[in-house]
Amino acid sequence: MVADKLEKVILAELGLEDWDIVDDTAAGAVPGWDSLNHVRIITAVEDEFQVRFRASEIVRLRNVGQLQALLDGKTGAR
Amino acid sequence: MSPRGPQLPSTDQRAMKRPVFDVDAASLVWDRLRSLADAAPEAEAIVHVTAEGAPHRWTRGALIRAASRAARWLDAHGVRKGDVCALIVRHHPDFYPTYLGISALGALPSVLAYPNARLHPDKFREGLQGMARRSGLDHVVTERDLAEVIAPVIGGSDSTIRQVLHPLEALDLPAVDDAPVEHAPGRADDACLLQHSSGTTGLQKPVVLSHRAILEHVRRYGEAIALSEHDRVASWLPLYHDMGLIAAFYLPLVCGVPLVQLSPMEWVAAPVLLLQAISRERATLCWLPNFAYNLMADRIREDDLEGVSLDSVRMLVNCSEPVRADSHERFRVRFSRHGLRPEALGACYAMAETTYAVTQTTPGREARTIVVDREALAAGHVAPPRNGAGRICVSSGRLVSGCRVRIVDDRREELPPGRVGEIAMSSVSMFDGYRNYPEKTAEVLQHGWYYSGDLGFVHEGEHYVIGRKKDLVIVAGNNVFPEDVEDAVGRVPGIIPGRVVAFGADDERTGTEVLCVVAETQAEGDVKKLLGVAVQQAGMKIDVTITRVYLVPPRWLIKSSSGKPSRAANKARVLEQASVA
Repeated sequence: MVADKLEKVILAELGLEDWDIVDDTAAGAVPGWDSLNHVRIITAVEDEFQVRFRASEIVRLRNVGQLQALLDGKTGAR
Repeated sequence: MSPRGPQLPSTDQRAMKRPVFDVDAASLVWDRLRSLADAAPEAEAIVHVTAEGAPHRWTRGALIRAASRAARWLDAHGVRKGDVCALIVRHHPDFYPTYLGISALGALPSVLAYPNARLHPDKFREGLQGMARRSGLDHVVTERDLAEVIAPVIGGSDSTIRQVLHPLEALDLPAVDDAPVEHAPGRADDACLLQHSSGTTGLQKPVVLSHRAILEHVRRYGEAIALSEHDRVASWLPLYHDMGLIAAFYLPLVCGVPLVQLSPMEWVAAPVLLLQAISRERATLCWLPNFAYNLMADRIREDDLEGVSLDSVRMLVNCSEPVRADSHERFRVRFSRHGLRPEALGACYAMAETTYAVTQTTPGREARTIVVDREALAAGHVAPPRNGAGRICVSSGRLVSGCRVRIVDDRREELPPGRVGEIAMSSVSMFDGYRNYPEKTAEVLQHGWYYSGDLGFVHEGEHYVIGRKKDLVIVAGNNVFPEDVEDAVGRVPGIIPGRVVAFGADDERTGTEVLCVVAETQAEGDVKKLLGVAVQQAGMKIDVTITRVYLVPPRWLIKSSSGKPSRAANKARVLEQASVA
């Protein structure tokens, strides 16, 4: 399940007030989340949660649920 | 050559470097590649890099053998000389032999973009069908994943596409016969490939290039960049774009210079991959659109650069978007501590219609800049700044041999030096016209001159490109036609049809243009907010990102003399109001 905090970071970076983001949500389904903005969102998530993703981890991500799982693995779901 | 990658040549070796210009333009590309493979079968040709795992290293000999296998398979499946084969394939090591196998048969490979997940399948099919009608696509070579999406456009009465082929999996099978094939009988002036000028899906203009045009251009462009046997090209560029296809694919292959190829999608998700690959593979040359300089300077973290050195790079060539001084400066400041030499920051001016480059900066010297008066420039004159800071223009270099440039006015009459006008050009490797598109050809090609629609000027032999005559928007190297965006947004319920304008606005942060839309609506309050999102979604369906949406009341848009909303006037009005706000 996508945590509120992650959803907020994504929406803030895209300048969206509200958008339903669930596990299956892929970047392409969210207004403004294109390939060029993707790296901005990843950086914002890293900064907010004080984690670092490897390039190989980033390129594997297919939806927000996978991003959440990767994040949980890094933070120990703290 | 070390199996772990080449060593940087010593200064002595560099001084003795041997140029690789012995390209015979009267031959066939396939024959040239075969002779290179015969001369040094174990020399590296393509290093296919992925974010995970070891790279796949194609030697010249192995590439020719695999391409021959692909050619036999394609021949057995009905691909014939002169057929057009659209390749819609993601980053895959067998893409290259498949592409070359098509070429060996005398068929015309044409690389198309793999559809983005956000592009609606109907829109993709519509674009493919439009392109098939225009370009005369005969076969689609693709992955199984896409077969279902493409199936409806096969064999219909209004489609030229006869079949979908999946040769990649066949290439994985043990080889029965991989002896090099002979090229189908042909001459240097025969068509070699079909590339599309960049543009919105379905509206790209098809350009056919002959073997002679490609080989002649590669030879002359190789001279312009002082290409030598010590060079290695690194690239993440997609091969459906002329910069990727000619500069970063044909140029290294035909000149026997190794190419290190990354995935465009992986690079944009993790831009550090390019610099890591350059460092690991000791690459010397790389072509990039302007936004890439900003993206890498701003988004790569220092600790990802541990052990990364750019000291092997002798030239980064900025091309396909207007070159911005600020982007070069950001990149130089950010990466000089990692070995980047300022003189490596070069640029060129190029387009599919002239095979590729028309001008190129001098190797070993940073692209020149000139500071000019903004107001005078807007009025079409190049003059020193009168008050305060002027505009810094970056040179795209001097003419590549075999090319000529004229700066012309609206009547296509040549302007004197120091004036801004449309850039017209002629070249020994220029196209003959768009395929099946005589009306578009007639617009841009006249008496041997190609009228680019780009605005620029020449100063002391250096060429400066400063903008577009038409309203084309260039977002991160991709051309977007405002008409397509206006059409898509005009169909959104709540937007007044025909009362929409789209335009590009410079964005200093990203180093490219952002797409803006102004649309009239009667909606207000929460409904208006939702409508803003609906407008963005309309852009997503045609695979463009609308960054700024301005919803305005009815009769707000300024009309041009033709009665349609004026893009230029409304852009000025919106940006002026935004700056005041």
